[in-house]
Amino acid sequence: MSQPSAAATFTFSLPSPSRYGPRIGSILYRRPGVSSEPIQIQTPGLLTATSRGVVPHLSRDNHRATSAIRWVNVPFETFLEHNPPLPTLQPGPNPLHTFLGFTPGKHLLSMSARDPYDGREMPANSVNHVSVYSLRGVRKLSPSDWRSYVQACQPDVVFALSDTPFTDPPYSQKRMTKSIDRSATWLSTILKPKEGEHPPNVFVHMAGGTSLAARKAFSDSLVERLYGPEADAVAPLVTLDEGVTGYSVDLVPLRQSLEAEERKNPRTSSPSDLNPVIPSHTEQIIPLLKSSFASVPETKPRLVNSTESPHEILQYISSVGIDLFDAHWAQRAADIGVALDFEFPVRHSSGDKRDIGHNLYDTRYALDLKPFADAFRGALADDSSSALPVCRCLACSPFHPATRIYHGYDTPEHSGLPARDPDSGPHYKPPHTRAYIHHLLHTHEMSAHTLLVMHNLEVLDAFFAGIRHVIAEHPERWTEEVEKFFRRYDSDTRVFTAAKESWKSVELARGKGRLAREKGKQEETTLGTVVETDD
Amino acid sequence: MTSVFLRRPMHFEIVAKCHTTKARVSRMTLAHGVTMLPTFMPVATQAAIKGLTAQQIEALGVTLILNNTYHLNLRPGLEVLNAAGGAHKFQGWNGNLLTDSGGFQLVSLSKFTTITEEGALFSSPFTGEPTMLTPEESISIQHAIGADIIMQLDDVVSSLTTGSRVEEAMERSVRWLDRCILQHEKSGKKGQQNLFAIVQGGLDPQLRDRCLDAMIERRNGVAGYAIGGLSGGEEKGLSGTTYCPRTCSKHHQMSSGECNIKQCADKLPEERPRYSMGIGFAEDLLVCVALGVDMADCVFPTRTARFGVALTHKGPVNLKLSKHAKDLKPIDESCPCPTCRDGTSRAMLNHIVTHETAAAHAITLHNIVFQAQVMGRAREAIIAGTFPDYLCKFFAEYFGDTGYPEWCVNALRSVGVDLLEGNEKAKMIPGSGAKWEYASLDA
Repeated sequence: MSQPSAAATFTFSLPSPSRYGPRIGSILYRRPGVSSEPIQIQTPGLLTATSRGVVPHLSRDNHRATSAIRWVNVPFETFLEHNPPLPTLQPGPNPLHTFLGFTPGKHLLSMSARDPYDGREMPANSVNHVSVYSLRGVRKLSPSDWRSYVQACQPDVVFALSDTPFTDPPYSQKRMTKSIDRSATWLSTILKPKEGEHPPNVFVHMAGGTSLAARKAFSDSLVERLYGPEADAVAPLVTLDEGVTGYSVDLVPLRQSLEAEERKNPRTSSPSDLNPVIPSHTEQIIPLLKSSFASVPETKPRLVNSTESPHEILQYISSVGIDLFDAHWAQRAADIGVALDFEFPVRHSSGDKRDIGHNLYDTRYALDLKPFADAFRGALADDSSSALPVCRCLACSPFHPATRIYHGYDTPEHSGLPARDPDSGPHYKPPHTRAYIHHLLHTHEMSAHTLLVMHNLEVLDAFFAGIRHVIAEHPERWTEEVEKFFRRYDSDTRVFTAAKESWKSVELARGKGRLAREKGKQEETTLGTVVETDD
Repeated sequence: MTSVFLRRPMHFEIVAKCHTTKARVSRMTLAHGVTMLPTFMPVATQAAIKGLTAQQIEALGVTLILNNTYHLNLRPGLEVLNAAGGAHKFQGWNGNLLTDSGGFQLVSLSKFTTITEEGALFSSPFTGEPTMLTPEESISIQHAIGADIIMQLDDVVSSLTTGSRVEEAMERSVRWLDRCILQHEKSGKKGQQNLFAIVQGGLDPQLRDRCLDAMIERRNGVAGYAIGGLSGGEEKGLSGTTYCPRTCSKHHQMSSGECNIKQCADKLPEERPRYSMGIGFAEDLLVCVALGVDMADCVFPTRTARFGVALTHKGPVNLKLSKHAKDLKPIDESCPCPTCRDGTSRAMLNHIVTHETAAAHAITLHNIVFQAQVMGRAREAIIAGTFPDYLCKFFAEYFGDTGYPEWCVNALRSVGVDLLEGNEKAKMIPGSGAKWEYASLDA
């Protein structure tokens, strides 16, 4: 396989590193031969989740038009339905970008074996494989296969295989010992330098489950000097950590283990239980994360997968110093009809506590002709002097495309319509309204989710921009701003629960039945044609 | 070139005519822009083309889309549409818009619709309450929706219906047209919206001829004519799955459908646009264009996309089939749609089709562009005087390996184009001959 002459470089700069606490940084990703401008991702920031290799609900033109989409994570397990996996067959430079339709000059692609949001029970891993899930059933993925897929697909970042059990929790001490040993060995498999191959940028999942000691042991094992065969395996690296670009933690298995342990030893009521402001298990997870970062260098990026609210994100930034968060929950909110509407820092803290979004299924939005969010306005606002920031998503700031396809005798010279000057800048249209999305949700139109997911990603991106602004400009106000946010926005995310209920009822009333009917119709067309051809 | 129909708010101008067939190119100017005809109209039943945004539709070069009155009247309802300032604003679409009258859906979606002289009595799908849709009300609803082209309410009968009911429906449709015209005249909306009549008459040429005469008499009240009554009301029929050629061929009345279209197109006034309702297969579109049709709509290209079928000039491609699973080529390398231009591979589409809505979006974008390309190339060929050649080339590429649908060959012969001329080896397939990529062919 051909290799680029120069390796891409991933640099993370952290002007004032702190081990635990809010920090701002910047990832620069330079890809040789693609564009002069490196990809820049400022932290704290977000990464976009994909399903089967696509950002759910977005065609390629729409994911490109969403500026919040910069780092995109691709769970690879669905591609194991074919052997060899399809993306490994893609020729040319940046094969994973090409196969999935992401832009090398704009998108940083990471590849994980598993979907970090998937907490389903799975068959046990072994010393030489991870059980992964595909539509054709459970597959066994070995560390050496993982390495070869990574070499073939050339993602910008790869998550090393981790032995995270998804069997029935909680797990024994023996199981956790195995887990950290295997995870370290599998990390060395992907780090092992090889002639003619550029070492990938590796993020390592911080193993150790819910045991503080195990987590500490795993992170210690990263920075310990290696000896003997272990040293030979990764030479010239002296420690595993030398080859590691960043650290990651998946919250789903932690939450599941914590829940299982609580079921086993019913907790006596503690003050935090009575305080609904704290989302489930965040308080327990914070010390676990801190123990993982106790001994590793504080200058490398830290990524957390599967948070579920902005409140939770703020807590992990405040108490642990996390740099990157997946946007899965915000994307999922679009699935169930929720338009996110929150801001950080909060400008108006007076008034009632608000939800972090609008369940647009709710009939109160049937006649609501406002844009999706109160905290933002569209680019074409009646009152452009408004102090509200602009939401750049294609729902709030749609515009007439600068170019269109011509099909034959319909160019401006024939139609007589003036062509738009592509250099005149976007010609904005009024925002799409809550009433429109309400209608699309109730009529089961997919366009609702397309518009919502673009919006939700932009709102979350603006949230992170606000976080960076406060950390950079007013670090002394950080705690106060976080408290203000908690006072302003309900952390109970009841809006999601309500939306899920509405989503389900519309699915039941129309969704399944409708799909079945449409399938029937399609078959009817096909069958009818078959009969006629055989006639 | 020949004739211009100029009456606010529609400007209809024939730019060129085919020297052999009845095909023509025209420029139709409506309140929301210019649409070059012949054209295919994608269907946005519920105020959205499935999965796409108005911005995307505009970028595809589509200038005229269709909404369904029946659906929009139920949801979101007139209160919302009025508050939003009409359907254009409600869905963020600044191009031209056409709404049907709702009559077809009353018959196809509701088993309990009763037609009386006053209107169509049906039970509301939400409340079950009996609801009456009169011609006046249909026009009023379409005024609130605000489409650039609105349709009369017609008394739709299934193309399989025979006997006196067909005649009754035809005559009632003429009477209802008068009521629609009257309602439209007194509404004050005549300056913004254009009313089309729908020629009825089932498959009976005599009835259809009477209907044509009556409706042509009313030409001063209408801006254009639709050709209907070919597909409505079959038991499970929605426009798109059952329509003229298929309906006819199923019942061995092969030529009736296109004969009706031909009969209508031949007789309808030249200076008015002609709209064939519910036509969407590429071969049907081209036959209709050759017979003198200017506009057509169908849910077929967008619906079939959701089930993984991409339309190409070599015939439909079923991306669900495993033979595409390792194919790194796009659907059609020469296609200008965003999906193909981006190099989206058949393998990637196979991986996501029916699992991810994004697959439906990608193929929908492609299929809409395919339809627009079929019609755009027809316009260019008519202008260049090469439309008969275009027909021959299109059918050779599309059907060359499987055989030509007999009804297409016959229909095109009636306008002076012989697809089989100089092509002795060509096969002819009786029946509709519609081309499909079958799962059973997949080894």
